[in-house]
Order: sequence, then C-alpha cells, then structure tokens
Amino acid sequence: MLERLGPRRVLLIAALAAAVLVGAFAVQNLAGSTVYYLTPSEAKDRGVAVGQTARLGGLVRAGSLRYDERSRDLRFVITDGRSDVSVVGNGAPPALLREGAGAVVEGTFAADGTFRATQVIAKHDEVYTAPTAGATPSHRTGP
Amino acid sequence: MIETTFSRGAALRAGPWLGIAAAASFAVASFMALIWAPADAVQGEVYRIIYVHVPSAWLAYLAFVVVFLASIGWLWSRRPLYDAIAVASAEIGVLFTGLALVAGSIWAKPTWGVWWTWEPRLVTTAVMFVMYVGYLLLRGLETDFARRATRAAVLGVIAVIDVPIVHLSVLWANSLHQLPTVLRAAGSPALDASMLLTLVVSVAAFTLVYTYFMYTRVQLELARQDRLRAAAESPRAQRPRLP
Repeated sequence: MLERLGPRRVLLIAALAAAVLVGAFAVQNLAGSTVYYLTPSEAKDRGVAVGQTARLGGLVRAGSLRYDERSRDLRFVITDGRSDVSVVGNGAPPALLREGAGAVVEGTFAADGTFRATQVIAKHDEVYTAPTAGATPSHRTGP
Repeated sequence: MIETTFSRGAALRAGPWLGIAAAASFAVASFMALIWAPADAVQGEVYRIIYVHVPSAWLAYLAFVVVFLASIGWLWSRRPLYDAIAVASAEIGVLFTGLALVAGSIWAKPTWGVWWTWEPRLVTTAVMFVMYVGYLLLRGLETDFARRATRAAVLGVIAVIDVPIVHLSVLWANSLHQLPTVLRAAGSPALDASMLLTLVVSVAAFTLVYTYFMYTRVQLELARQDRLRAAAESPRAQRPRLP
C-alpha cells in the first residue's frame, strides 16, 4: 500500500501525524503549566522566598493607589479577593493602572512582606466603547 | 514533464484590478479607523492601533494556513504551482506577523506600560515568527527544485500547529493579553457597532492586500520556475548556473 502511495504522500501522512502529535502535546502541557504570574494567594502558598524574582497578578484594591510625583514613590495593594500584597514601586505608573482594574508586577518580596516592584504592568480588558456624551476618555494620549 | 495549469493571461488581467481594489479598500479603512470610529472610553485614541494589529494577526493566521494547504498540495500532487503558493504565502505571512508584533508593541507601551513581556500570547507569536523565518531559510539551503519543495512542505505542514496555539494562548490562566473581542466565547462582540464595522472593513482591506500580494508574488515565482526549467532543459547548459 505504501509503495502505491509514493514517497511524498507517505511523507505527507507522516508530517500530518507529527503535527497532530506535537500540537496535542503542546496544548495539553502549555495550557496546564504556563505561569506568567502568581496570584497573591498562590505566592503565599508556594512560599516565594525573600529576594527571589517573581511576578504577581491581581486587582488593584480600591482606595489603595498612591503615587507621589516628587519622590516618584508608587504604592498600592494587589489582591485576588483572598490575599493582599502591598506593592512598593518607583516611577510613574502606566496610564491605565487604576483601582479595581488588573495589574501585573515584577520584583521581589522584601523581608517585611512588601513586594518591591521593578516593573508595573497594567492589564486591560477586551471591551471597547465610545465615551459617553460629554465625557473625555479617562486615558488621554499625548501632551 | 512538469506542467502548470495556471492561466497567465487571466492572472495578468486580474492583477491591476486587485491592486486597485486593495488600495481603495485600504483608503476607506484608513478613513474609518482614523476619523470615523469613535475614541475608546478607557484608552482614548491609542486603541486605534487595533485596526492595524488585529488585521495583521489575522493575515498571519490566514497566510500560514495557506502555506499548510499548499504544502499538502505539493506533497500529494507534485504540481509546482503549489510550491509557488507556499513560498509566496510564507513570505507575506512573515511580513504581517512582524507587523502584528511591532504594532502590538507600540500599543503595549502606552497601555500596559511595557514594550514587551514574556506573556503566553507574545511568546507563541514570536515563536511563530521565528519558525516561518526558519521556513524561508530552509528553502535557501537546497538548490534542487523538487527536493527543496518537499523539505519546505514538510515544515509547512508541521509549523501550522502554532496558529491555533497562538490563538488559544490568551485563554490559558494567568496571561496579560486581552481576550478575543470579536470571537468571544460568550455573547456578542464587546465593542461598539461602529468600531466593529471599522474592524471588519480593516480586516477585509488587509485580506485584499494579501490577495494582491499573493497574485503578484506567485506570478514572480512561476516565472522563476520557468527560467529554471528552461535552463535545465537547454542542451547548451546542462547544469543551470545559479546567480
């Protein structure tokens, strides 16, 4: 049967089989084990060591966002609803970082349990709407 | 021995019209994206990059699926036209994957706050870019036409698995990239009707540009195949001299 198909068609069937196999393995393993960030609860459960670089993701707790323009001191609390972590950063926050919205921070835990962020990333959702009449977009680009 | 059933005459006549249609739809899409569509309530004007970013990513998917189908075509039937389609689509796909990455990066800086981060969607897209650059490099390694087409086709069949992986990567837990806006799992598209229409027109315009590029590039490749064949069959030069 293989002789009748010819070498190229056998190669095609082998390549298709390889594609399906690799795809199935990749999806199964990537979907289960890729960790871009830990939630505050996961960081607590795993016991991330002091000084070890980690990424935390969650919501910026309402009423916790403080930025001092003179000292460039940025402070907020990141929460997943169960655990909270106080984040201390340096530098202006991304324009879309706001209370109640998502954020991802990269950095290390200090000995006092606060998280020293070297990078603060705002997470935004996939919803786009026009501003309501009279309102300006909350994030304005340009000067 | 090797024959193509591609009608050159018809293609030459269709080419300019495709080009005109692509340019015209691109002008309409630009007007809608830059002026007609409203600004976003949260992001303001910067969200308009979506009208370049999403169609570019769509074209990358489309181009690599076409590479996949053409690769199957070559392996199954040995018609050189399929190899011409595969190389044309791979080149255009690499171009638009690069454009999607660059546009995404420019969008990420003012919204997320970073140019790049090692997030699943971004990583899988970068892998896709590198794989198809590798596909084009692989084609340069072999000078024999049939062997080159076969080797490239095997990679063209296998590499396509990254397309669904890129698309599904945003659904994995703990990613940064936003979820699909139009092809949502539940409910209707999460954007205003005018924004959705602009996005649909942009995707259509980019697809026409792809079709025009494909027509032109496939013609070039078929002309190159003709030259190779003529050189190989010429009694004066048994071994074609390669540039």
